[in-house]
Amino acid sequence: MSTGPGRFEQVYGEHVVGIYRFVYARVGNRPDAEDLTAGVFVRAVEQLDTAREPGQIAAWLYRVAQNSIADYWRAFYRLPVVGVDHVAPGWEPTDEGTQRQAAPDERASVRVQALLRNLPDRYRRVLELRFLQRMSVAETARAMGITSGNAKVLQYRALRKAAVIGDATDG
Amino acid sequence: MADEHDPRAERFERYLDALLAGARPSPDDVSSPDEAEMARLAAEMAGAVGTANADPDDAFVEQLRMRMRAADAGLAAVQVPPPVRQPAAEPGGRRTWHLSRRELLLGGIGAAAGLAAGLIGVSLAPRSPSDSPTLGGDDDLVAGDGYWEEVARLDDVPPGAVARFSTVAFDGFVVNEGGDVRALSSVCTHMGCTLQHRPEWQDLRCPCHGASFDLAGRLANGRRTWRDNPYRGDARAYPIELPDLVRPRVKVEDGAILVWTAQA
Repeated sequence: MSTGPGRFEQVYGEHVVGIYRFVYARVGNRPDAEDLTAGVFVRAVEQLDTAREPGQIAAWLYRVAQNSIADYWRAFYRLPVVGVDHVAPGWEPTDEGTQRQAAPDERASVRVQALLRNLPDRYRRVLELRFLQRMSVAETARAMGITSGNAKVLQYRALRKAAVIGDATDG
Repeated sequence: MADEHDPRAERFERYLDALLAGARPSPDDVSSPDEAEMARLAAEMAGAVGTANADPDDAFVEQLRMRMRAADAGLAAVQVPPPVRQPAAEPGGRRTWHLSRRELLLGGIGAAAGLAAGLIGVSLAPRSPSDSPTLGGDDDLVAGDGYWEEVARLDDVPPGAVARFSTVAFDGFVVNEGGDVRALSSVCTHMGCTLQHRPEWQDLRCPCHGASFDLAGRLANGRRTWRDNPYRGDARAYPIELPDLVRPRVKVEDGAILVWTAQA
């Protein structure tokens, strides 16, 4: 493994896409995903020993990313948020090496699919229209034949229900 | 179903609207632990199906790469502090600078509080995921409630004098430059070491990597100003630029120097 000047940039090049995807899958928007990704590498440039094994470097980076996301939900919403770990499996370095982490994060998607499947029809429908088809509230309301006010209430209840189901399936 | 209007649902829609538009959602639109869980689930759903943004923007990756390269080079560059020049002897062999008794007194206290100052400095610096590796740089350090705390008598800090002070929230120097009184943090904006006042150079010197700040809180031995105005106190330039020192609010009242002490 090479060391010295340029070594950090090599680490950056190997992991920046994976870390970004990991973060994006958990915060769901680009500005915050970019901020958190930058934060991970700023910490890395100061603290990470780049002479370590590749597996250890990956583990360090993803652990910092995971902590940053937990802090984001804690600090950003000033609320105690529990159960951050449920989105985490899959990032630990495995024998397959770092290739595995660079793959798009499919697990979160699988979890979302499962949550949607378990919702009552109207709840699932409103979330599919808004999140999968990226419709506005007005478009969603039209598609479902309800008022915009109703659509907002419906999506609110659907998310609340889904959050409860999500909690129940985490353990 | 009749038309409904639910303030919580209305407000939460603002969160979703920003999120689904790919913008940064506001925490103000989330008002309970339940809603925080809903927001987290919504973010996960948006992240799972919003494939358009799942990969980082090329420009972002390149920009961050440049930032990392500079930080990496900068950190390596400051491992060795710049060599210090000996102060030139003045006519008569005597320096015009003199320490006040107050300063000597406060110097001892400040040294003891050095470690605490570093920690406090870090915790007071604004936190966001995009923070640069350096600290500080704000003109004022005023966060929420607080009070004015006396840190010195004006009589003890005459024009030309520098004195250490320490409050619950803050460790720094008060400077009287020709009657203009100001306060400066003693926390170096590079890595948070405690600065030492060097009367012979009229600067605040970092013992860790040799950054020198002038009495206005600006980096004095930086590269940017070196060519036109090499710093007298160093044989060569400090290799990276640093933000200004944090400057807490200060005022003089009834012969007392007061510093604003913020309360969390």
